[in-house]
Parts: sequence; structure tokens; C-alpha cells
Amino acid sequence: MQKISLLSLHQQFEEANIQICFNGPLSHSIIEELGLAVRRYLENETSGSDKMMDVFAVYIEQTQNVRNYAQSKTAQLTSSIYNTITLMIGREESHYVVMSGNVVHQDDVAALIGKIDQLRELDAAGLKALYKEQRRKPVIDGASGAGLGLIDMARKTSQPLAYEVQKIDNNTAFFTLKAVV
Amino acid sequence: MESLNQIASTSSPAIHFDPISGQLMMSGESYPENTFEFYAPVIGWLKEFIAEKDIAVTLTLELAYLNTGSVKCLMDIFDILEDAYSEGRIVTVIWRYHAKNPRALETAEEFSEDLTLPFHIEAI
Repeated sequence: MQKISLLSLHQQFEEANIQICFNGPLSHSIIEELGLAVRRYLENETSGSDKMMDVFAVYIEQTQNVRNYAQSKTAQLTSSIYNTITLMIGREESHYVVMSGNVVHQDDVAALIGKIDQLRELDAAGLKALYKEQRRKPVIDGASGAGLGLIDMARKTSQPLAYEVQKIDNNTAFFTLKAVV
Repeated sequence: MESLNQIASTSSPAIHFDPISGQLMMSGESYPENTFEFYAPVIGWLKEFIAEKDIAVTLTLELAYLNTGSVKCLMDIFDILEDAYSEGRIVTVIWRYHAKNPRALETAEEFSEDLTLPFHIEAI
């Protein structure tokens, strides 16, 4: 193990108002357990349960998106690098922030950010219409999702979804998604 | 045909579909691993039931949270019921939600906007 300062990590989290964080490979049972912890934590923190359910919903869609994406890559030897998430839930003034980062293949970046850019242009009515349209579209054979996750997240956020793509090497990039609820 | 029964888990709903009475019930949370695989037998059962039986159907739902994959599967379930309804079947959907969970109410309303079958929303 390389030397790493937990104190400096701890201080960084405190300064950035990060309340919950997870870094590691995802499994369904981890998604469940961490989700229950998020809910219990927010139940004590928030007065209204709609905000708690929105944070939980964004958390579920982000983690399940990463897991579904990793599973679509299982044919590749390096699939495990795609199944690791860096997840943080924190406060920003009166809002909650759910941030997640994961490794994506360079070939997938353009389609992903194209979709988010499209969502960023839409207002609440536009997002609702797109959500309803997508909800009745037949699912593509072999797909693990309905193509609704990002739209659903965009509908639950108080600011447009934000993202960052940082190149790791010629094949992969680190994708960060930020949702402010 | 046989009834369909499933016990609830942390992330999947309890299911009780009775082909004799036409009472179909789902309750709990819905964000299972491999959502489409989870719902495939449920949708398969419903299609067979509609094709084989000619009785009234009541679908009662008490779902606190649905991930988007579950939303898609539920839309497919509603569309099967909507087709049966438009062909003259007596179909009723009852959506029960906790008064403290306004998001479950909104989810119900967004489904009912896209359907013509009788859709009752009840706070518990």
C-alpha cells in the first residue's frame, strides 16, 4: 500500500462538506446497503422526504448506471476498471450534491456527453416530455437500462447536470457527473 | 394457470398475482439488480393471464420507490392492461402511496396521465 494520509483526506472531505463517500468496486448488495445508509442519514437531516427521495433516486440511478455500463463491458479483459465508482454525497448551501466518477472507454464519451448536453438545454416541461417519450420506447435487445436514468436525474436536480471528462490514457477517461438536488 | 408469488427484498417488491380472483398486487421497493430480468416473468404471467382468462382485473400497487428500469417495466404492464381495457375488459388500477412520500404520488400521476383505464390514487 502506498502511503496515503487519511487525515488530509478527512480534512478535504470536511472542508468540501462531503458527508458520505465511497470508493471501490460496486455490487448490487453494496448499492443496497449504502442506499439504506443514505436514506437513514437523510431521514435525520431533511425535514421533507421529497428531498430525501430525490437524493436517493439520483444515487440509485448513478450507481446502477455505472454497474450496467461495467456489465456491458464484461467481454473485455479490463472490465473491472469500469465497475469501480467514486461516489460522494455532500452539502452545498441548502442543496445536496451527489457526485460520481467512473472510468469510461474513450469511444463512449461522445455519446454520453452528447446526451447530457441535450438534457442541459431542456426546461422541466421539455424533460418531462422526453421522459414520457423514452418510457414508451421499446428497449433495445440486450440493454440493461431503459435509457431513462439521466433524464430522471436531470428532472430531480435544481441545476442542470454538470460533468467533467479527464483523459487517463488513449483508451480511457475519467467521467465525473454532478447532480445538485 | 398458477398464481405468481414473490417475497419482497430490500430492493424488490412483494408480488401476489391471483388468476382465480383477478387480484394482482405489488408492494415495496423496486430497484432490483437486472430490473428487466426481474420483471420478465411478471410481464409474461400477465400476458398469459390476459390471453387465457376473461375476468375483471384489479392491479393494486403500493410502491415507495421505483428505479427507471422499473418505471419502464411498469409502463409495459400498464400498456398490456390498457389494451385489455380498450377491448372491453374490466380493469382497475389502484395506486396506494404514503402521505409522507409525495414523489410516489407524482409517479402515479405521471402514469395516469398517459392512460385511459380507471386509475385510482389513494393516500394511506
